[in-house]
Amino acid sequence: MLSKSYTVQNIRTDALRDVSLDLWAGELSLIIGPSGCGKSTLLSLMSGLSRPDSGTVYAAGVELSALSDAERDAFRLAHCGFVFQGFNLFPALTALEQVQIPLDYLKVPQDRAARRAAEALDMVGLWHRRHLRPAELSGGEKQRVAIARALVKRPSLLFADEPTSALDSTNGGTVTDLLRRIAHATGAVVACVSHDPRLIARADRVLEMEDGRLLRDRRPAHSEPMEPL
Amino acid sequence: MAVPLARRILVYEWRRFLPATISVAFSGVLMIVQGALLLGIVSANALYVTQSGADLWIGFPGTQSADLGRAIDPGIAANLYMDPRIARVEALLLGAGDWRGARGGGTSVTLVGIDPRPDGVGLSKAMSPPVRVLLQEPGAVLVDETDLDKLATDIGQKAEINGHLVRVVGTTRNLRAMGGVNVVASLGTARMLDSAISASDSVTYYLAKVPEPRNISAVHAHLSSIPGSAGFEIWTAGELAGLSVRYWLLESGAGIGFVFATVIAMLVGTLITSQTLMAAVAASITQYATLRALGVSFPELRKIVIEQSGWVGAVGLGMGLVCSLLAAALARLNDIPFELRAGMMLFSAAVVLSVALVAGLLALRRLRHADPAALLR
Ligand SMILES: Nc1ncnc2c1ncn2[C@@H]1O[C@H](COP(=O)(O)OP(=O)(O)O)[C@@H](O)[C@H]1O
Ligand SMILES: [Mg+2]
Repeated sequence: MLSKSYTVQNIRTDALRDVSLDLWAGELSLIIGPSGCGKSTLLSLMSGLSRPDSGTVYAAGVELSALSDAERDAFRLAHCGFVFQGFNLFPALTALEQVQIPLDYLKVPQDRAARRAAEALDMVGLWHRRHLRPAELSGGEKQRVAIARALVKRPSLLFADEPTSALDSTNGGTVTDLLRRIAHATGAVVACVSHDPRLIARADRVLEMEDGRLLRDRRPAHSEPMEPL
Repeated sequence: MAVPLARRILVYEWRRFLPATISVAFSGVLMIVQGALLLGIVSANALYVTQSGADLWIGFPGTQSADLGRAIDPGIAANLYMDPRIARVEALLLGAGDWRGARGGGTSVTLVGIDPRPDGVGLSKAMSPPVRVLLQEPGAVLVDETDLDKLATDIGQKAEINGHLVRVVGTTRNLRAMGGVNVVASLGTARMLDSAISASDSVTYYLAKVPEPRNISAVHAHLSSIPGSAGFEIWTAGELAGLSVRYWLLESGAGIGFVFATVIAMLVGTLITSQTLMAAVAASITQYATLRALGVSFPELRKIVIEQSGWVGAVGLGMGLVCSLLAAALARLNDIPFELRAGMMLFSAAVVLSVALVAGLLALRRLRHADPAALLR
């Protein structure tokens, strides 16, 4: 039962009220709900970016909510991939270098890191754009680079916060399908947050939120079959 | 090698780091130039001591600055001559004069009387021995090369001091006085020119040369203990120079003003450097927050910022050093007292560099306690 509130200028906002859920590996879970209902807050608690006021978070067999800041940093480095709404790529780096950064901090030797970064970039179909900087990439390409950066470390948990809201619907669909394929192919827990109902058809599981609470948990029937990665 | 993120950001976003780099350069120049001017002016006050080759100075008790010496009892001389550890004893006279030259009107000058023997120690570093012996001719004087214009004179020309005819026979080096003008003459000529020191046994300082450096303190102690030592005081050259510098720095209004200006220069430089560098780091805060979210630990982020601040500091200091050398050259061309010393440059560099590092780390502090999630909203 997770709860989290923020107090800004003495006004308390309950971002999450007693939410309880389990996420399964190997599938894309979509957390959907109107803006401000607490989706991002839930995601940051589940990924160890922040700590709940009350309740416990277990991830990859670890009680995340009991760890110190430094331990949570180490946990994220080892296990979590992130995809952000605003891409958050490094303007100074080429696509290939962006993807290699997490491996550098994981102390993967250079030759292996470069090879794995190249593979990840190839997996999102951007090998031919490897030398370009974010300023030279389109929004969809940037988000695919960000996905490559998230999956290059072969994370057991992959979190995406509104990964499609800065993209048009075609690119948004591509990105969501990519996340789902990654879930199926790598067996990672993939949690994606969105306020966009068009993504529902592409998810394995849909969790609906409103006003800091979890309302519904369902599995949509699939119209489009997935091609293997 | 891993992707050098810190340097990549620095190179790609150099425009953001440029203000900080330039302000490091300017703070460096500001501190170095102020310091060099201060040292230059300060040491001008101890010139009589620093330009002489004597090891011990004997003068009026309680003298606060070398240029403020007063006549002493010449009786002490016997003790000096008798001490076998002292190789040379020499008198030095300070007097005052009113210079009248080609321009008309008077200029107040300080008369410095020295022993004109070629191996004399008084002001020995300000002139070559051949120039020094020219003073043996009665009425011969030397003025500093930088004061020729001020006195409207040149080598070979005549002038009057206190109504007596003198002739400029040469110039001294590095003897530009603060405010006044130094005119150097032999002891005899000085006594002739200034009636206040005209007595044949009047002396302002005795200068003693002690060839064996380890004997200096023993001679010092011995002279201080002889009966009648209340009539004079003994300093090593270093002590008297330090005394003169401190007197000027702390007791004279100009000195305190200059020290104040130097401190302000340091504060302003520190403030501007830290503000611009903090701004540069703060502008990348979402990039650092992204790294945090990816699980990069705070110490690793600190390394990035330290590396960037270090580069900004190093490049800025390099620019500052070049500018300081230019300033030094300019000062030399204009005969401005300017002492560019390595120690001071190192000190300024250390101050500016630590300011840069501390400012970078302070700017990063926001990341330490804030949720990376909140910065990425
Ligand atoms: N760092 C924060 N400081 C203050 N209030 C916050 C913070 N983060 C979220 N909130 C508030 O908590 C509520 C839930 O926010 P969020 O989880 O971002 O919603 P969503 O992602 O569903 O749009 C909102 O009312 C928001 O204003
Ligand atoms: Mg959100």
